[in-house]
Amino acid sequence: MNTIIKSIRDRIVSIWKISDEVARGKAVETIEYELEEMENIFGILVLGSFIGMPAPPMQISLDLMPLMEKELILMMKKVDTANEPIARLFSVFDIG
Amino acid sequence: MNRATNVFFMGKGGVGKSTSSALFSVFLAQKGFQVLIVSLDPAHNQSDIFERDLSDKPIRIAPNLSAIEIDQEFWIRQYLKDIHNQINRTYSYLTAFNLEKYFSVIKYSPGLEEYALILAFEKIKKNFSQCDYLIFDMPPTALGLKFFSLPSLSLIWIEHLLALRKEIIKKRDLITNIKLIKKEIERDKVLNKINDLRNQYQDLKDTFEDRKQTQINLVLNPDKLSYAESIRIVKALQEININLYRTINNKMKLDSSVEDINEVFAGIPRTNFPHSETPLIGIHNLQKFVKANGDQLEKQLSISSHNPI
Repeated sequence: MNTIIKSIRDRIVSIWKISDEVARGKAVETIEYELEEMENIFGILVLGSFIGMPAPPMQISLDLMPLMEKELILMMKKVDTANEPIARLFSVFDIG
Repeated sequence: MNRATNVFFMGKGGVGKSTSSALFSVFLAQKGFQVLIVSLDPAHNQSDIFERDLSDKPIRIAPNLSAIEIDQEFWIRQYLKDIHNQINRTYSYLTAFNLEKYFSVIKYSPGLEEYALILAFEKIKKNFSQCDYLIFDMPPTALGLKFFSLPSLSLIWIEHLLALRKEIIKKRDLITNIKLIKKEIERDKVLNKINDLRNQYQDLKDTFEDRKQTQINLVLNPDKLSYAESIRIVKALQEININLYRTINNKMKLDSSVEDINEVFAGIPRTNFPHSETPLIGIHNLQKFVKANGDQLEKQLSISSHNPI
């Protein structure tokens, strides 16, 4: 009897944990998108001179560049969806 | 403890910055101060003036006086090599980004010339802090002004980048808290680097603005073009909160008039270096000139061995 109750309790806890995780994930989805955009903007601001954008003095870009692998990868990733920003926004807000 | 006073000689091309800085160095060395004269001008006239082959290692010219010549290209190469090595260590995507190709052309980027001078200045300031005076023979106006404005301009960018980075970290922390992910113990490396850069440029800015540490001498000749450019230099320096320490009227002849000097120079101490009939080349000629005009210079500069500037 105890084993059955324990099994039911474990299952409820597990369902609760998963739904909590999903809810938390959903809650920050928009903020994560915003964060990704901000990191992309930071990357473009610092490394803009490499793609012909106005940029800080060259030595600032060069000094920060070795630490910005993540931003560079993100910038490369963003290139794929850069021509459809509205579509991306709609998908973030789950429209349509 | 950094006790060296940085003395810069600025001015229009050809007014005699190199000769004035050489004379000034010889004068101070004769007064018993430890002096290092540093040529930051890519034209490198100091080796011609002292008739010695100068390099990045101090060469003794006279008692208490040594000289160094800064190779701008060496500093750019060295700096880019360091960055390149750091990138090679941290990036595994180097070939994909094709950065190798960029690095071969980055050395020609605008802005790196003055940064090379800044790096050289910082190194000299650190390595020769035991000297009483570090005398810097500056490049002509354009590069000289870029050198002094680099810390202020960089700080404007750095403050903006710092604000954006802090915002990013705030958002990242928020997500971490909501998702109950373990917090990264290591702090954001980019933020740390931006903070380091801010401290570096703030130190430089403070050094340039502090008249106890830095004295900027503006060399000018008694002619209209030289005055006109000198006025622009004073105004450009004032814009970045740097005040001139002294003007040096070089090549003054008996009939030269200094009375019509623009009001921009009002209140700035003035020193006259008289015109020399013999070319001021070689340490003996420089010492001879200083000996002949020593009393006058001492009076104008208010310097004695017991009374530093």
